[in-house]
Amino acid sequence: MKISTPIITLLVGVVLAASLLISSMSAVSAKKAALAAASASASAQATAAGTVSAAAPSQSASSAASPSASTSPGFVIPPHANYDGKVQGNAGSVAIVVHDTFAIAYYCNGSTQEAWLKGTPHNGQLSMTGKNNATLTANYALGHARGTVTVDGISHVFSIIAVHKPSGLFQSIAVVRGATVKAGWIVLADGTQVGSLEPDPNSATPSAATAPKLDLSTLTADDGGTTIVATPIDAETGSGF
Amino acid sequence: MAAQFEPPAPTRLDRIQPATSGRLLVVPALVGCLVSLTLGIYGRLHSPTGVAVDIVGFSSPATVKTWLATGAVLFAVVQVGSALVMYGKVPRVTSPSWIGTLHQWSGRIAFILTVPVVVHCLYALGFQTFNARVLVHSVCGCLFFGVFTVKMLALTRRGIPGWALPLLGGLAFALLVVIWFTSAFWFFTNFGVSR
Repeated sequence: MKISTPIITLLVGVVLAASLLISSMSAVSAKKAALAAASASASAQATAAGTVSAAAPSQSASSAASPSASTSPGFVIPPHANYDGKVQGNAGSVAIVVHDTFAIAYYCNGSTQEAWLKGTPHNGQLSMTGKNNATLTANYALGHARGTVTVDGISHVFSIIAVHKPSGLFQSIAVVRGATVKAGWIVLADGTQVGSLEPDPNSATPSAATAPKLDLSTLTADDGGTTIVATPIDAETGSGF
Repeated sequence: MAAQFEPPAPTRLDRIQPATSGRLLVVPALVGCLVSLTLGIYGRLHSPTGVAVDIVGFSSPATVKTWLATGAVLFAVVQVGSALVMYGKVPRVTSPSWIGTLHQWSGRIAFILTVPVVVHCLYALGFQTFNARVLVHSVCGCLFFGVFTVKMLALTRRGIPGWALPLLGGLAFALLVVIWFTSAFWFFTNFGVSR
């Protein structure tokens, strides 16, 4: 009895999907294996530096000499990663960029609430601080990061994914009409962007406003007639670090 | 002696229709539901990795998906068009002998083009609900594959009601278009059309 062709169509689709899924899984685990080797040597250096992470719940892997990859449950900590996404409740967006022993994060709601944060990554955990008591704690691994960011006294929980060009974090520090202006943009995985601009980053009472739209092909924005140029803060190229 | 009899006076013969039964669609519908649920549950439970297999020649996985999805929609338009011709719905166009083959092959190609896209979408991004667009995309994505499965299974059965294939085909097309609008179209309007 001849198998009907619609069944063949479905079977071809299923076989194709299964083979793509398997090759995706092996591509990801090959990446994990390569990163395991890298983070084993990186964590040996980090424990020598002796940074302590704060209140974030500690992972099962001990923070001592053992390589993080082999003891933690399947998560591998990449030395370079870009993450961004919306926080729970959609109040704003957060971006985290991890590059070896330094991490930069940015939270903004596209208007008056924003903060730049810095910290040292340690064993897949981040404890970052910024101006005005902004804090961020997170656990990160290959593909995703989860944690809490607190800006202007309000805490936002987030669970965000790793992103790649053209999405990511962008920053501009420029002199506009005699004043130094600092702006940040987060371009999410689906292409939408949020950005805030601080007219005077050194002021004791920082204020922020919506940033002009960033043109992703030229990485410039127009601030009232002045063109400002943004640099990507990108772990993969090391730009911004 | 064999009985001789006159056959009864011929009654007006209506066009003979085989009896159709909607019941034949129940099992395909259940299989379709199972497919949709499996995709949705996998997408929700699996931790999205943000990465999957890279495909050379494109600037990023996102652009690969937008072009594959656009290709799938174009082949799906050929599907719908050929179906309209097959059902005699296009005035002054008679259905050529190759229309059935065109319909089948455009459908197969459209479906195969969607497979790498859905694998990447589920594996790297997962079933997301953080805004209306991704929620609609995630739900319609799961529904599309269920409906497509039902349509394929329905084609293997004789005696399904006449409305079944047009309904299933139309529904699959509508879902695919919504999926495309909530993803590739959105991507093109935000990032521009590029390779």
